[in-house]
Amino acid sequence: MMDIKIQLIIGVIVVSALAVIVNMIRKKRLELRYALAWLLVGISILILDCFPYLINWLAEQFGIADPVNMLFFLGFCFSLMIIFVLTVAVSRMSIRIKQMAQEIALHEKG
Amino acid sequence: MRKTALRKIIIIPVYNEEENIESTVESIQKNALDFDYIIINDCSTDRTRKICEENGFNVINLPINLGIGGAVQTGYRYAYEQGYDVAVQVDGDGQHDPKFLEKMAEYLKENDVDMVIGSRFIEKKGFQSSAARRIGISFFSILIKILTGKKITDPTSGLRMVGRNVMDIFSKDYPRDYPEPESVVAILRRNLKVKEIPVIMHERAGGVSSISFKNSVYYMIKVTFAILIERIRKY
Repeated sequence: MMDIKIQLIIGVIVVSALAVIVNMIRKKRLELRYALAWLLVGISILILDCFPYLINWLAEQFGIADPVNMLFFLGFCFSLMIIFVLTVAVSRMSIRIKQMAQEIALHEKG
Repeated sequence: MRKTALRKIIIIPVYNEEENIESTVESIQKNALDFDYIIINDCSTDRTRKICEENGFNVINLPINLGIGGAVQTGYRYAYEQGYDVAVQVDGDGQHDPKFLEKMAEYLKENDVDMVIGSRFIEKKGFQSSAARRIGISFFSILIKILTGKKITDPTSGLRMVGRNVMDIFSKDYPRDYPEPESVVAILRRNLKVKEIPVIMHERAGGVSSISFKNSVYYMIKVTFAILIERIRKY
């Protein structure tokens, strides 16, 4: 069973992180398109944190002794996924910037 | 404002519409005589660009693919900078009938509203989209009603006509992808007037829709979040 203390700590951290993200989207410093994954991860972790029996059940299926480790493991997997998606986005952007620079240069040449 | 003094422009965002672009422009030239038009070619990979240039169409070619939002915003910037009084967005796939544009312009002027949307769901005539899409659309309609108190029957309609003030807003700030419902809420939140008039839309003549089944889950989630966040923005 997960300790109520860690449950509370995780809850507070996730809620504040979500508040910061939403506020940044509101002020248009973050594009929803890229922030969406973070929002969804935050919400799923919050749900798991609020209903610990989901975590207990999952931990049992994975053969993890301490359910809180299941939460950390999931968080780690989500983070890796987001980092990978960002790497893809960066690659796409560098291609687009190159394409645009070439277009401008060709234009200038006439 | 005098009737004859109004300068009106049609913004046509296109991506790979080689099958439809010619008939779309022909239909505009036949049915919307008072309107100029500008095609925004969003870096199509088919013959769209070539067809536009061969026919001497008025076209802006984007050097990279910006997505529907970026393309439409380019159109609004052009319209604003060229001093147009009224801009209307018409999809390049033949779904929107230019016959309704004159009616929309009259409505915009006579009722002094900031945005007129052509809605499929007031008279429920013509192409009504699939059942699944209608459920999605009414979900957004209800969400907008709850969040803004205003009834918009067709928040996903791409057929929207705006005046100069909204053109200015859109040219500075327009959502990147799936922009329609979110941008309607942004206008409503500024206490500007949005009205709908009934139109008849057609099933797209050729090509493929930008919203496939694979994307529809992302679409629903993204637009829902976008509308919710739009509600807590301050203007």
